[in-house]
Amino acid sequence: MPQKLDELTMALRAASELRQGQVVAVGSGLPAKIAEILPAQAPVQLLSDGGALGYGPSQPDAGAGVCGPDGRPVALESGGSVVGMVDWAAMLRGGHVDVAVVQPARVTPSGDLLGWTTAATPGLFAPGRTVDLAAGGGTVIAMLPHTGSDGSANIVAESSPVADGRSCVNLIITDIAVIRVENGALVLEEVAPGWSYDEVAALTGAPLTPADDLKEISPDLEALKTARHSKVFPDGPSAIGDMPDGATVMIDGFGGPGGMAHYLLVTLRDQGTRGLTIISNTIGIARIVNFGTPAGKLAIDHSVIVDNGQVVKAIASYPVSPSMSRPSSFELAYRRGEVELELVPQGTLAERLRAGGAGIYAFYTPTGAGTLIAEGKESRVIDGKEYILEHGLKADYCLIRGHKADTLGNVVYKGTSRNFNAVMAPSAAITVVEVDEVVEPGELDPELIVTPGVYVDRIVIRPEAFSAYE
Amino acid sequence: MPQEKLYATPQAAVADIQNGSTILVAGFAGYGFAEGLLAALLEVGSNDLTLIYRAGPYAEVESGSLPAVENLVSNGQVSKLISPMPYEPGSGGVIEQQWQAGQLDIEIVPQGVLVERLRAGGAGIGGVFLPTAVGTRFETGKERRNFSDGEAVLELPLKADYAFIRVAAADTLGNAIYQGSSRNWAPIMAMAARVTIAEADRIVEPGELDPEAIISPGIFVNRIVAAR
Repeated sequence: MPQKLDELTMALRAASELRQGQVVAVGSGLPAKIAEILPAQAPVQLLSDGGALGYGPSQPDAGAGVCGPDGRPVALESGGSVVGMVDWAAMLRGGHVDVAVVQPARVTPSGDLLGWTTAATPGLFAPGRTVDLAAGGGTVIAMLPHTGSDGSANIVAESSPVADGRSCVNLIITDIAVIRVENGALVLEEVAPGWSYDEVAALTGAPLTPADDLKEISPDLEALKTARHSKVFPDGPSAIGDMPDGATVMIDGFGGPGGMAHYLLVTLRDQGTRGLTIISNTIGIARIVNFGTPAGKLAIDHSVIVDNGQVVKAIASYPVSPSMSRPSSFELAYRRGEVELELVPQGTLAERLRAGGAGIYAFYTPTGAGTLIAEGKESRVIDGKEYILEHGLKADYCLIRGHKADTLGNVVYKGTSRNFNAVMAPSAAITVVEVDEVVEPGELDPELIVTPGVYVDRIVIRPEAFSAYE
Repeated sequence: MPQEKLYATPQAAVADIQNGSTILVAGFAGYGFAEGLLAALLEVGSNDLTLIYRAGPYAEVESGSLPAVENLVSNGQVSKLISPMPYEPGSGGVIEQQWQAGQLDIEIVPQGVLVERLRAGGAGIGGVFLPTAVGTRFETGKERRNFSDGEAVLELPLKADYAFIRVAAADTLGNAIYQGSSRNWAPIMAMAARVTIAEADRIVEPGELDPEAIISPGIFVNRIVAAR
């Protein structure tokens, strides 16, 4: 038999699939080797369930106290951040991971995979991270030896009645072949040097079709030798100018002038996008509640787009002025019948936003059970307590207010602005952050990054002369 | 006033742990284990314990921490483990032996599901519909439902009596920061336990930690002991 590929060559082949800007979650075993062969400062970020996002090769003396998926200490690349398990899981479920690379024990033509189990201990198995990776990656790459140590095929026609992932694998990389999973069938695209289709097929426990242009495996990392793209946009209009009429937009901080993307709000008013659904805490009461507004000035808040006739609906928790005599812009528009309102308790709003970004489709909360809020919603008693079912919230755009960002979109906040901004950031297709200052990757302490760049698409600097009052 | 959270020794901090308690053990691989608390629990001898933890891969990690979990098992103090990976394939040791002998119950939960169940427990959520287990062996016995995003199964919250966490620093009010991978499970476990005990590498006065940097507010930390 010709020689099989070594682990690092397999890792090189897997890395050849990666592209600029991708977030790549890797499991232990063969996938963990990808960190060893990536070019330094490659334009992708590896995610380890050891709590590292954007890390490099293992280093015994790394000193950062973070580890790769196999438990080995690693150093963070510049722009990397420390994340917790709950963030890791949310990134996978919430659709924020472009590629997941996993080492299963078995794979089938339908793309099912089985994680670790042993014949000696039937019924006991240790999926660890495998189920999450299988379910959560946009693209799932399975890396495994083509055969077991006893020579049996690891690619099999049918998985047992149980699986750790269903119809999830897109590409299989073994020590002798690269196989694409297409519509429930296996297509042999590449073979290791010296191997033929027949030789590979003989070691494969499922039907295998050769590709028309069957090639020899030849890793190519050219795409990873480009510089990382900056997410910085020159100004507000260029950052949100593509927002279409009818978009759903999240925007809020908390209360008054602290912590809202005021510059982007004014940009949005000036560009006049209409038919907007706004998800916010207050939908604009800072303007009429004097939260320290200088005399003769008006605070900028959601009222500027409501007054401009751009809003058709709000999903909010506190949409009315505390004073009957000074109604907010939204209240007035509501009284005129120009806008719709979906009322959500504040904590439920935050939890629905988190659910939307974290891939939680719905959840039971006790908040609002037995009140007007429960009308029309499923109610359920769990463990003796009454809950109502609430669903995740998502949006087309999210406009957040950070303090500093690096060019990769890692964000730190200042004070109250963390409040709704941090929980909104993961929940939109396009998240735009307005910051006071942009720094280079590596300048923010990776332990202090609150919103990793994974969640941020565009960055604009709030002009120095800009005022939150007009 | 704040001194009431400080305990002089790990033994004092775990002395009231009753038989039958459920304990969350934070840590990943060799990182972030409250080794002193685990060792003290061995001395205190509480039994019929349920431990919830994410172990392994630890075979290659030079740390006495995971053997501490194994020691509790081998000391007959543990009746159940809830874990995504109770031991590394091929290195089950006493855990595998006791499980095969029917002396130890093991519940396997994918780690992303486990952490979300703990978060639900800590955040007062009655249950979450997650897509993770759909179609897998981990869907068995769970309610499946179709949403606009796709199919999901209902996962129920998990809570515990105690959590053992390792923190880089805590102030005397219990506000805590972590280093690196130690953050992995600890903040969520701290929320999900009735009594969270932090083993701190450094104990400082209130005000010494940057308020923007605090990961676990003191409301989630009930007891603090100094790490050796």
